[in-house]
Amino acid sequence: MKKTLLATLLLGTLTTPAFAADTIKIALTGPFSGGSAPMGTSMRDGARLAINEINASGGISVGTKKKKIEIIERDDEGKNERGALIAQELASMGDLSGVIGTVNTGVVLAGDKHLQEKGITKIITPAAGSASMTQWSKAGTKDVSIFRFAAHDGIQSSMVIEEAINQKFTKIAILHDATNYGASGHDDLIDQIKKQGNKLEIVATEKFNIGDKDMTAQLLSAKAHGAQAILIWGIGPEMAAVSNGMAKLGMKIPLIGGWTLSMSNYIDNAGKNGNGTLMPQTFIEDAITPKVKSFIDGYHKTYNVTRIPSPVSAAQGYDAVYIFAAAVKQAQSEDTHKIKDALEDLREPVKGVITTWKHPFSKWDPANEQTHEAFRRSDAVMGKIQDGHVIFANQSDRQRLINNAAR
Amino acid sequence: MNLDILAQMVVSGALMGLIYALIAYGFQLTYATSKSINFGQGELVMLSAFFSLTLLNLGAPYWLMVPGGLLFGAVMGLIVERACVRLSLEQKSEGWILLTIIFGLLGFSSAENIWGRDDRPFPSPISADALNFFGISITGLEIAVALGVFLIMSIIELFKRKTLLGKAFEAVSADRDAAELMGISATKTIMLSYGLSGMVAAMAGILISPITTVGPTMASALILKAFSVAVVAGLDSGFGVVIIGIFLGALESLTSFYLGSGWREAPGLILLIMALAVRPNGVFGKANIRKV
Repeated sequence: MKKTLLATLLLGTLTTPAFAADTIKIALTGPFSGGSAPMGTSMRDGARLAINEINASGGISVGTKKKKIEIIERDDEGKNERGALIAQELASMGDLSGVIGTVNTGVVLAGDKHLQEKGITKIITPAAGSASMTQWSKAGTKDVSIFRFAAHDGIQSSMVIEEAINQKFTKIAILHDATNYGASGHDDLIDQIKKQGNKLEIVATEKFNIGDKDMTAQLLSAKAHGAQAILIWGIGPEMAAVSNGMAKLGMKIPLIGGWTLSMSNYIDNAGKNGNGTLMPQTFIEDAITPKVKSFIDGYHKTYNVTRIPSPVSAAQGYDAVYIFAAAVKQAQSEDTHKIKDALEDLREPVKGVITTWKHPFSKWDPANEQTHEAFRRSDAVMGKIQDGHVIFANQSDRQRLINNAAR
Repeated sequence: MNLDILAQMVVSGALMGLIYALIAYGFQLTYATSKSINFGQGELVMLSAFFSLTLLNLGAPYWLMVPGGLLFGAVMGLIVERACVRLSLEQKSEGWILLTIIFGLLGFSSAENIWGRDDRPFPSPISADALNFFGISITGLEIAVALGVFLIMSIIELFKRKTLLGKAFEAVSADRDAAELMGISATKTIMLSYGLSGMVAAMAGILISPITTVGPTMASALILKAFSVAVVAGLDSGFGVVIIGIFLGALESLTSFYLGSGWREAPGLILLIMALAVRPNGVFGKANIRKV
């Protein structure tokens, strides 16, 4: 009797891993609550949409079997310390195929080292702060299992400065929040002004804290020094306070900033004062092709909304899953290290809603973090806020994307 | 220096300062009667704002939402008094400090679970468009805040001076033991003060929400400033909080403009330290003389 019991127990422990290997485990992490929640939940919901589609078609063919994707969700609340704990937990799981997500650059910096240590493949999306990838190139790390799938701040700040120069401005003010993200955005902007020929004079640099609602002093400083445009780096609620303050003071100058200006909590809290605000986007909720239309309709229907809270995050989450799935298929394995190797040399183009991804990543080069960055300047467009929606700022961009898709 | 900008800065800062003053006034009301303070006052502001927003979302008209919100605030104030303050006062202990902080944390977590952690816009029938007075821009919402602050403070001060119940309030504030000997129930008066304090918190929530948006952390920054204002003005100074509030608000704006926005929080703290060092009873406070 005792022996049979022991044997059953032993058998039980031996067979469990075999069951687990029937699925491909992917962790989705991000802030599903708090000020960055619109980005976190949209990313998660976009990724889920892709996973549901893949699972509905039977899963990914690995060897002779088709394997379904199993989702593990973790809410980091946008807090660095929670992010670090979650990364440690994920790193110790053992049978995890990969991680997709993270919105806040601070969370990336706090958590990714644990994943990197174990060589777990992670696709960062939509966190955009430059430091997320440059931390590895600066340290000269030989082999990196972290990839990024977002238009990083380098691209975004270059577009913002380009826009300001194209509009023939010469004097600008920079406003940024006091977080890692705001400070690094400020540095990127100054970098880009130098790179693009020092055509802009910074007449005022002002900071604000998370939770600040009265921006009068900062804005008056910009106004008093004759700023012709305000370049801003922050998150939704505070940037809405800036827009409302500008309306109050009768400042009719353009507000141009990072992609976070498309967050629903900016658009809703700024209301009509947000009209005309410009920011780089990788995806615009405009059904320009049948593929984009089916994605937008699918999102609206599945989550019962009429507007995606953060379309950029949703589209990036969706495409990131398809790229990950393509890597699993190429690797013919759910082993995270093999998936990493496949991601670095993805042979088949992946059809996404943002674009068709041809060889998005390449072998990590410690001297060049661009090897693990998927987005290039041509993958981003300028977006503009109009009556509560983000639209294409330039019709030429819209046409270009339609032509690209037709090709 | 451009005079327009200076004036704009002072006015905008002063209007922000009035909000600090209103919250500080809530501290004063309970301190007067019971020498205790609700450290969860900021959470009362936030909970009342959420409750009022819920009323609006349920389709209640604006004129009904305001008294509804105030009533909710008053009830919350009474709950704080019963649950956190009464017993420790009876035992002459300082337990209310910890208990009111705990109550605040509880309120914060409840709000996160009931209403979520997002900042939400709060609709208001008052236009957010700017009006221009001699080159100074003020929005309708800001004027409403100023009027609301003076209105509720005047009503409560009048009530304290003109009605029998108000006189009892003043009597307990002046000398609790003597008042009890005259047949005034100190317990009931303290209840009244907590109810009024909760109502003031609700008023603050309703007034500032259209400007600050509603979220669990909406009052956490404000409450520290309000506390500074209450201490600097003196915890029994009445309208003194208004003067200090306006002063602090304007000073913050000016500091932020001239010294840089990173220094914005500094004047409040320096003021607090100076007041505690030079006038521990507050600028407008009365020195305590206790006969023995």
